[in-house]
Parts: sequence; structure tokens; C-alpha cells
Amino acid sequence: MILETTTVGSFPKPEYLTKSRFQFSKQQISREELLRLEQQATKEWVEFQEEIGIDILVDGEMYRGDMVTYFAENFKGFEISGLVRSYGNRYYRKPVAVAEIERLNPVTVEWYQFTQALTKKPVKGMLTGPYTIMDWSFDEFYPSRRDFCLRLAEVIREEARDLEAAGAQFIQIDEPAVSVRPEELDLAIEAMGIVTNGLKAKTLTHICYGNFEKIYPKMLEIPVDQIDLELSNAEYDLLDLFKRHPFTREIGLGVVDVHSHRLESKEEVKKRIRKAASLIPLKQIYVSPDCGLKTRSVEEAKAKLRVMMEATLEVREEFGSEGA
Amino acid sequence: MAMKTTLVGGFPKIGDRIEEQKLRKSFHQFDKDELSEEALEQVKDEVTEEVIQLEEANGIDLLTDGLIRWEDPLRYFVSRVSGFELSGLIRYFDTNTFYRQPVCESRLETIKPIFVRDFEFARGKSSKPVRVILPGPFTIAKLSVNHFYKEQKQFVFDLAHLIHKEALQLEEAGCEFIQFDEPALLSHKEDIRLFFDVYRIVTAQLSKSEKTIFFNFGNIQDIYPKILDLPVERLGFDLTQGHPNWEVLAKAKMTKKLMAGIIDSRNTKMEREADLLSLVGGLGSIADPDETWLTHNYSLEFLPRENAIQKIKLLTQVASQQKGAGVS
Repeated sequence: MILETTTVGSFPKPEYLTKSRFQFSKQQISREELLRLEQQATKEWVEFQEEIGIDILVDGEMYRGDMVTYFAENFKGFEISGLVRSYGNRYYRKPVAVAEIERLNPVTVEWYQFTQALTKKPVKGMLTGPYTIMDWSFDEFYPSRRDFCLRLAEVIREEARDLEAAGAQFIQIDEPAVSVRPEELDLAIEAMGIVTNGLKAKTLTHICYGNFEKIYPKMLEIPVDQIDLELSNAEYDLLDLFKRHPFTREIGLGVVDVHSHRLESKEEVKKRIRKAASLIPLKQIYVSPDCGLKTRSVEEAKAKLRVMMEATLEVREEFGSEGA
Repeated sequence: MAMKTTLVGGFPKIGDRIEEQKLRKSFHQFDKDELSEEALEQVKDEVTEEVIQLEEANGIDLLTDGLIRWEDPLRYFVSRVSGFELSGLIRYFDTNTFYRQPVCESRLETIKPIFVRDFEFARGKSSKPVRVILPGPFTIAKLSVNHFYKEQKQFVFDLAHLIHKEALQLEEAGCEFIQFDEPALLSHKEDIRLFFDVYRIVTAQLSKSEKTIFFNFGNIQDIYPKILDLPVERLGFDLTQGHPNWEVLAKAKMTKKLMAGIIDSRNTKMEREADLLSLVGGLGSIADPDETWLTHNYSLEFLPRENAIQKIKLLTQVASQQKGAGVS
């Protein structure tokens, strides 16, 4: 099959879960009750992904708050800071490294197993990369960013190996932060090498919102099988770079903007896929949204995913024999 | 004479305690049509006043209004300029914060002063001098998309005229200290000549206020000492421990007043007071210590409010220790 479809990781939480997470934070409901609702929401998202025909599923991260803080909360050596603003009226809590980082138990494996048991389609193991956890944390312990990052790489490698042992055929290690400091790209590549070395599962990384011009084509050296990119947000300017230097890896092609309420038309999405297909061999292209959809409402996220699927199916038809 | 202390600009809009979260709550209510725009503005004023009082209570000498009303480093200004539209979210330099990218679609114009009211409000809340922060035209241009002007130069120059107008109006309102934030120069050093042209426009006829240009998100290698010829009285740099700027500044005597960012406002780790005093001692060989301001290197919004307060306390403590050492 050509143009396999997937998503980047997070989906919006249904209202009952948002409410329950708040109640749990106020100790008004038990952890067991929260877990039951997180599982219910996960099931609903798996059903939706199957219903619209997505090929490689995710669990939707119903049990996670922030992609970095979630791991920090589950690793020893981190504390969690007070609130910091990311944009507009959105705030998050940043991890603070205060001691040597250690993983005492697997963090995501149970959720992977729970979700995979709900479907015959492959479910991705979802991790946040060492460079991004380092870059988005405060550091009160390590003498340098490099020391901090490489320690995290060893810890994330343990998690990736456990996911693979649990059966994950796809392991995504998100590194949205690598696009912003070209001078540290070598460090990010070295750290990813530690995580993915020896894995047999297909490995992916997601990169977004940065200065791709400054890290391309060097970013193709990140040792993963597939690089998933946010493209719609920048109106596909990025693809021009690929004319100058071919994109040699598989690409996760972001086709819908996750930070806009506006619903893309099917034609727009088809045009984006066709444009990418004119520059990258079809068998290397996977179709996905720009980024995690958790900042959209459930309805908006579903509508964007439906458009993505409808457009992909039609483009598949167009390219039918060529891609077979 | 003691070195004075100031903030480079922004202060965390909310804290972790319930009573420190009213602005966040008000935005939510406003988004759901449960709060009027006037009521939201009122809350912004209240939080601004609290931040000013907090700065004063912790011994800061030259206050800012904490940029509480600013949505991001560009939007507060550009959304009040006719000719700009706002586009998608873009990462702000190498941070994990974002801004809406301005897109210039027609000739840029401002109808009424944007910053004078904010200055007058802040001045009315304190007996200490208030510094006003303005987004630098060069940086606005670099972080925006220009669809209208045939030449990029004309786009920057029109922005320079608008910021000049704001600065002139601030002077007329009695503002003594104006700061222009220009982080983008450090990643576009090849445009240094254009930068000089921009600041000739920005500072023309400004005679009453002391003007500062603040540079961060990089180092000043290759543009120092050239930037000492800029038509402003003071330059501000990141001078945290080990920053490359220390080495660059050692190469030529600083002939302008210095605003030294000695405290790291992108990490919660607290500096040791002894280390900071040693840094402050080193400033004496770079610039006139009697005219030097001590501050931090980035907006305090990169820290949780509690940590920002701790860093401010440390800053004023170091300044007062330095004063003691100076007397003895």
C-alpha cells in the first residue's frame, strides 16, 4: 500500500476526562476511577481511528498532560516546576533535573499493551526524545546540556527496548526541539543513536515549529527510519528545500494544521500530498497531521482527520497503479 | 555609587497560587463571552500594578510594567498597527514559547499612541522611574512576512518610523528611559549597516530620554565594537557566567553605558551570590561601574513566578552587596 496514514500522537481529551483529571488533582476521585475513564477515552479514539481507516494507530495520550512533563513525572531525578507560559493563555509545568535521572519502571509499556489489545492494526509506541526533554527542562543538576541529554538518551533507550520487547512494530521518538539550535544538531543525532541503536522496530521521529532551513539536509542523519514533519503550518515552503537536496528517508507528511480552527478542504490536502509526491517517492510518504491534535476540540480533531483520510484515499486512487 | 537594578522586560503573568491566577481565569471567561473586554483590561491593569509593587518591594531601582499586556514579543504592537495580519504560530528563537507571525499586507500605519497609556499607568503606580520596552523594528521585520513592500528595506524603515513615533510620544509624556529589544540582530549580523540606518530613524529628535538597545539570543562577536557607534546611550547584553560576550567585551573599552544581564532567567538554578559578585567585579573593567545597570539575560516569563521572584531578590541582594563593597 502507498500513502499509509497515521497521526502524530496526542488527541484532545473528551470533556468527561478533562473534568475527571481536574477532579483527580483535587483528590475528589480515585486514581482507579481516573484510569477507568482514561481507558474509556483511549478505546473511543481507537474505535474512531479504525472507523475512518487510519493504518497505524496511536493511543491518543489520554493519560498524559505535557509530552515532556509526563516522562519527567515518571523518572527519578526530576521535580516539576511552577507554571510557565508557552503562548497565549496556555501554561505548562516544566521538569527540573535535580539529581541523576533514572527510570525505575517502564513508563509507557502498559498503555501500549492496553491499546494494542484493542486493535489488529499496529499501534505506535510513543516516546519523547532525550534532546527535547533536556531542552524543555530546567537543569539544576548536570554540568552541561550534553551530559544531561546523553543521560536521558540512556534512559529513553531502556523504554524503547521494553516497548519493542512488548511487541511494538513502530516506535516514535519525538524531537520537536531539534529544529531550533542547529549548533546542537550533532548532539541530538548522537543522543538518538543511543536510543535507536539495535532496535528492530521501525523508528520515527517528529520535528516541528523550527528553522528547518538551518538543519536541512543534516537532519537526515538523525538515525531513525522516518522523519515526520510539520508542513501545513508553513504552507509547504519546506518542500522547496527538498528540490535542492532530496529527502532520503521516509517522511511523515503533515497535511493539516493543528493550531488552526479552520478545517482544510479535501482539495487542499490532496494538493499538499501531490506536491510532496512530486518530490519524494510515493513509497516513502506517510500521511499525518502536522503535530499532535490535543489543542483542538474533539470535533475539530475528528473533522481534520476525516479530511486527511478522504483526501489520502482519493490520491491513492489517482496514483493507484504507479504506487502498487 | 551603586549599580542600579532593573528588569529587561517581561514578568510571569500568573503564579501558582490561586490569587495569582486571575489573569488566566479572566482570559478563559473572556473567551467564553463571560467577561467583557473592559473587565479583562481592568484585570490586566490590576496584575500590572501588582507586578510593579512586587518589583518595588524587592528593591528594583528602575521598574518596568512587566509587559503583562503583551501576548507575545511582537503581537501587542503589530496587532495595533494597521497593515499587519497575524498568521500561524512560530517558535520564538530557541525557546519553547511561540508567537503569531505578523504578515504585512498593506502600508503600515498607527492611528493613536500604543505605549503612552501603559507608561502613564505604570508611572502612576510608583515613585520610582519606569522604563518602557519597545519591540525593535529590525526584529519585528525579521520575524514577520512582508507581502506588501517591494523592498524589504522600505518595510523595515516604515517600522522604524512607527517605533520612532512611539518613542517621541513617550518622551513627550515624560518617559526618561526607553529600551528597544533587538534580539534578531545577533542572528543577522550581516545586516549591521541596515541596523544603523534603522536606528538613525528611530532615534532622530529623541533628546530627552535615555535610550537602550538590548541584545540577547546570541553573542556580539563580529559586531562589537562597531555597535558602540549606535545612536543610543546604553547597550544591554547577556553577561551570565561563561557567556562568550565576556571575551568579546574584553577586546575594546565600552564607551556606552552598560546594562549587564548577569542572572540567567532561563534556568531555575540559583546562581551563587559569590559568583555573581565576582562577575560584577569584572564589569568594572568593561564599563563605567557607576553607570552600569544589573539585570538578567532574558524575559523573566521563561521562569515560574516564584523562581522569578527569587532571582529578583538575588539580583538586588548582589547590587546591595556590591554597594557595600564599593563604600568600604
